[in-house]
Amino acid sequence: MSLKTERRGIHVDQSELLCKKGCGYYGNPAWQGFCSKCWREEYQKARQKQIQDDWELAERLQREEEEAYASSQGAQAGPQSLTFSKFEEKKSNEKTRKVTTVKKFFTASTKSLPKKDIKEAKSPSPSLSRQYSLETDRVSKDFIEFLKTYQKAGHDVYKMSKIFLEAMYHKRESNIDEQSEFTQDFYQNTAEKLQMYWKVSPDKVEKVTDQIERFIMTRLYKHVFCPETTDDEKKDLTVQKRIRALHWVTPQMLCVPVNEDIAEVSDMVVKAITDIIEMDSKRIPRDKLACITRCSKHIFNAIKITKNEPASADDFLPTLIYIVLKANPPRLQSNIQYITRFCNPSRLMTGEDGYYFTNLCCAVAFIEKLDAQSLNLSEEEFSRYMSGQASPKKQDLENWPADTCPGVKQMHRNLDLLTQLSKRQEHIVNGAKKLEKDLIDWTDDVTKEVKDIVEKYPLNIKTASQALAALESENIEDDKLPPPLQPQVYAG
Amino acid sequence: MAAAGGGGGAGVSKTYSFKVVLLGEGCVGKTSLVLRYCENKFNDKHITTLQASFLTKKLNIGGKRVNLAIWDTAGQERFHALGPIYYRDSNGAILVYDITDEDSFQKVKNWVKELRKMLGNEICLCIVGNKVDLEKERHVSVQEAETYAESVGAKHYHTSAKQNKGIEELFLDLCKRMIETAQTDERAKGNGPSQSGTSRRGVQIVDDEPQAQSTGGCCSG
Repeated sequence: MSLKTERRGIHVDQSELLCKKGCGYYGNPAWQGFCSKCWREEYQKARQKQIQDDWELAERLQREEEEAYASSQGAQAGPQSLTFSKFEEKKSNEKTRKVTTVKKFFTASTKSLPKKDIKEAKSPSPSLSRQYSLETDRVSKDFIEFLKTYQKAGHDVYKMSKIFLEAMYHKRESNIDEQSEFTQDFYQNTAEKLQMYWKVSPDKVEKVTDQIERFIMTRLYKHVFCPETTDDEKKDLTVQKRIRALHWVTPQMLCVPVNEDIAEVSDMVVKAITDIIEMDSKRIPRDKLACITRCSKHIFNAIKITKNEPASADDFLPTLIYIVLKANPPRLQSNIQYITRFCNPSRLMTGEDGYYFTNLCCAVAFIEKLDAQSLNLSEEEFSRYMSGQASPKKQDLENWPADTCPGVKQMHRNLDLLTQLSKRQEHIVNGAKKLEKDLIDWTDDVTKEVKDIVEKYPLNIKTASQALAALESENIEDDKLPPPLQPQVYAG
Repeated sequence: MAAAGGGGGAGVSKTYSFKVVLLGEGCVGKTSLVLRYCENKFNDKHITTLQASFLTKKLNIGGKRVNLAIWDTAGQERFHALGPIYYRDSNGAILVYDITDEDSFQKVKNWVKELRKMLGNEICLCIVGNKVDLEKERHVSVQEAETYAESVGAKHYHTSAKQNKGIEELFLDLCKRMIETAQTDERAKGNGPSQSGTSRRGVQIVDDEPQAQSTGGCCSG
């Protein structure tokens, strides 16, 4: 009977299995109901259309950008026209140069395709390249908008960024350290030029550098994040495995000053974990840093609620280590390397973000080198935990957040109970064994004691017989005694 | 190497940005010290700041603007090996010990050795004996501490975060020394655009042994 229902469950009408196009072959849900041949045709069509769309979009954006520049240039022209003719000349020079650079990068399908465009056209999946170009275009639009407020300086920055990007493209095959160095030089030179030549105030230079970072790194991310020329990926895997092997580490072992029993605190811990995991999804180093900073702020909150005083580094670092262990953030090493190589340097050097980033680096270094001593464990305990033979979960139970599934909690409670039971049973068995041994010992002891006594006071049968003999001899002598009185009959 | 930004225009003086690391065993009062300096509070229930591990202070010393970033470090023994990651690229270090605790002074000596080895003479060192309000329980002699400080080219200070003694002077003095160092540095490098060749890389990941910073901005660690 059950067979029957099963069969009914999977019964499908024959026509539903055929290719949607009606060519008579069977279709496949993976190909959206087409057969392999029809799917290929459909897919090619969609692909062509998407590529076409991409070109159109790129062209439209390019037009918009040119218009935007033209209008900003026009707005500038007013006050500029009052200055020396020399300046006029320079400006128009720049204008023409600018147009060519913009064209170089945004012309989609002209006769002489720049290298970057060729590469984009070659990218394997049309939908992917479309996403890429959408975000990149949005960023470059924002960038241009932003630079407009800086007028000529902004224009100069734009030009420099474009030149830089092109140079980076030619360097794409070279060593990542070289690329990093080149990028850092670019940040520095741009900042210096803005300050010295365009007389932009330091605060504003900082802002511009942030925007430049955003603009260039959105474009470079794909090529310089975890590049194949490095062993970043291998390191990622090592760290990931290491953290997984350390799943048993408890907050107590690290002396984490956070009490997760408090609902608010456990909430903060969860948020911190989410933030550190989110870091991997960001493209721009500064956004990645912002994730680390947010994570740190949540940690500080958790500590503040628990301890009711501002967190010091003594509290912060262990907690961050604990969070990293709990979160096991994806591609941790790649992210750290990427930030180190391509972040705006002034941020990393003295800023608050830099401090938290440094702490994250410390946490990772600590996790990599963590041993029994650093957790106040004995070597034996440590190796037992590492090999999974034992688990210090019992302590953990009390620190579980309140919202843990009650079933799981019950299960752990039961496990605890069972462990206790087995311990008690062991105790009883031990007791019984001891009792048995005691009994045997007691018998042995008694035997031995008796033996000793027997040895000490041997049974002297001889003396006993002598005494008896004596007694008997006495009896013999008794014979010599006068015969017992016999009753005499008196006549009477 | 400390100069972060030049003047915004003619006549505006330079702003210095300094990174100062705070080293010392747990319980010597690092946090109290820096909270007293930045918030002027001690063990106060009303401390509003969320954390005391990264604090900043803006100063104006003889017309020179200084942005001070104070980096607290974890003092537990188990984190000792992480020191180099923290104090890389710092301009100054404040090494705190507790005058009632001989061990904490020994720790300071270890750090001094390490710092001099890693950063050379570029870094301004301050050795600070905290908790002078507990003078009666003193276990580290003034003579010994001061002689030692002098022998390693550091300055010695006595402070009490509780009574707010000596802290203002400590930081002011340190800033002045860091400005001097920065100025000699600038002069030596001719104030050229290449000035921060070694300094601009904020943090580097080291694989095995902490790499001396003197390799000069090269990241082939």
